[in-house]
Amino acid sequence: MTETAEVPLIKASDIEKRYPNGTLGLKRASLSVALGEVVVIVGPSGSGKSTLLRTLNGLETITAGEITIDGHLLHERAADLRRLRTSVGMVFQQFNLFPHLSAIENLMLAPQKVLKLSAAEARARAEKLLAKVGLADKADVHPAQLSGGQQQRVAIARALAMQPKVMLFDEPTSALDPEMVGEVLEVMKQLASEGMTMCVVTHEMGFARAVADRVVFMDRGEIVCEAAPAGFFDAPTHERLKTFLRQVLKA
Amino acid sequence: MTSSQTSRRGWVWHALSLLILAAFCGSLYLASKRIDYTWRWSRLPQYLLSTGGEEIDAPFDGTVSIAADDKTLTITPLLGVGAAQTIPDIAVPLVADGEVVFRGNTLGKKPGISAGPLLIGLWLTLRISFVSLIFALVLGVLAGLGRVSHNPTARDVASFYVEIIRGTPLLVQLFIAYFFFAPTLHLSAFAAGVFGLSVFTGAYIAEIVRAGIQAVPKGQTEASQSLGLSGLQTLRHVVLPQAIQKILPPLAGQFINLIKDSSLVSVMALTDLTKAGREVVSSTFSPFEVWFTVALMYLILTGGLSLVVNRLEKRLARHD
Ligand SMILES: Nc1ncnc2c1ncn2[C@@H]1O[C@H](COP(=O)(O)OP(=O)(O)O)[C@@H](O)[C@H]1O
Ligand SMILES: [Mg+2]
Repeated sequence: MTETAEVPLIKASDIEKRYPNGTLGLKRASLSVALGEVVVIVGPSGSGKSTLLRTLNGLETITAGEITIDGHLLHERAADLRRLRTSVGMVFQQFNLFPHLSAIENLMLAPQKVLKLSAAEARARAEKLLAKVGLADKADVHPAQLSGGQQQRVAIARALAMQPKVMLFDEPTSALDPEMVGEVLEVMKQLASEGMTMCVVTHEMGFARAVADRVVFMDRGEIVCEAAPAGFFDAPTHERLKTFLRQVLKA
Repeated sequence: MTSSQTSRRGWVWHALSLLILAAFCGSLYLASKRIDYTWRWSRLPQYLLSTGGEEIDAPFDGTVSIAADDKTLTITPLLGVGAAQTIPDIAVPLVADGEVVFRGNTLGKKPGISAGPLLIGLWLTLRISFVSLIFALVLGVLAGLGRVSHNPTARDVASFYVEIIRGTPLLVQLFIAYFFFAPTLHLSAFAAGVFGLSVFTGAYIAEIVRAGIQAVPKGQTEASQSLGLSGLQTLRHVVLPQAIQKILPPLAGQFINLIKDSSLVSVMALTDLTKAGREVVSSTFSPFEVWFTVALMYLILTGGLSLVVNRLEKRLARHD
């Protein structure tokens, strides 16, 4: 590995998230992600995967521990948080495209308002990204007229338009009809092959096996174990992981 | 019956509706017969458009002289200060040559058609509704944003405002505006009316705005923030454009309410359409004709507004 890999791009140390209602979403979880690394997070529903991902771009505050992104502490001060967020892209299960804007306007909004790009610059960047996810011809279409798979690809392109250093995916294919899962995973594979740093929460074990550098298993708010995909799937050591894999592979 | 059958025979049903309407009007007429009411619709037009001419008032205290043509009138200031003023084309002088008049006295009438009291009242109703609408919108949007703010003080103040206003009658609020705020803040009757109406309507608009904003899914805000947009940018570019579609229909209803509620300002020495109606009734003794006419005039205002809003709504809904 190169020297830059020694300073992790994301470093979460002993973070804890207690929700206002008292639920402990995360219990002292630690995770570091190196530049260019693809980390896949798996675990049963309610195990804290979304919570972990959301703390990494400040959508949830943490109640203990600390997070650094590219060496900067993830502050709670609004201005700092905003600056750091521009280097962390997020893709949601429900796409969350802006329904009142066309596909290309979805991509252009943040670069114009946050990075202060001119309309022409933002448009050029957006066109390139739409072409990259195979939707150049849908630029002027509104989200409601796109299929789920297409919407999620636009959402990926929208996050990429901010040129983030790392991309977070929270179950990006879980809301899709089965026949559309492939097209979204394909885009993600391509991103990974280009060296994008990625954290992916998914139930797609095939994707994890093929693309991940490291697979992390979470259960009940804890990071139980992590390993390279080969060891993770073929020689699981942890009891809880074995149970989980049995259930997932049976389904 | 299927819907295609209903639409093909649509005219039959509409004819039936007309019949019911006619029966209703007929029974109103019969009801008025029973109390020996004489309908005098012919008296009404002059209260809409007056052909009696426009009254000319004396601009200052002075002595009047009437020219030989009996139409041109000159008024010379009493104490010899300032220039004399000549008023041409007075059709019906109501003062005599050499008479001393005081400011505001009626000198005579100019020929021509002018707005009658009902139209003048309608104009005041329109003006006070429109000005109140602008203030109510500003107030309502601010209070609505306050209700969904993260700042507890903003939330408290906005809730306090909304609860107080929605918990008291408009008539009482207008009395307070007129008898308390008008003298203490040196407001004219019109300003006090605008004050009362916009504070009242603003509270209802605040609730509409709050509901509209809360109807925008949380994921929209999260997506926007994860892209680095600030809270204000998120509101401006993501939340409000979506909320507006949900806000518009109830907002239109609230504007229509505002026009109707404005009739209550007739208690505040303001001659709006309703007050004008009362005055015309007392000079014509034709309450039935006057109040039906006044109702129709309100209907034209509110109906027109509904039409405009329907158009706007269709245009905004294009993308769903
Ligand atoms: N906003 C919230 N308020 C309270 N509890 C929450 C909230 N979001 C998640 N939780 C709880 O935190 C735990 C972890 O949830 P989550 O991170 O969504 O799990 P996962 O994404 O692995 O399914 C669950 O017990 C869930 O009920
Ligand atoms: Mg989740």
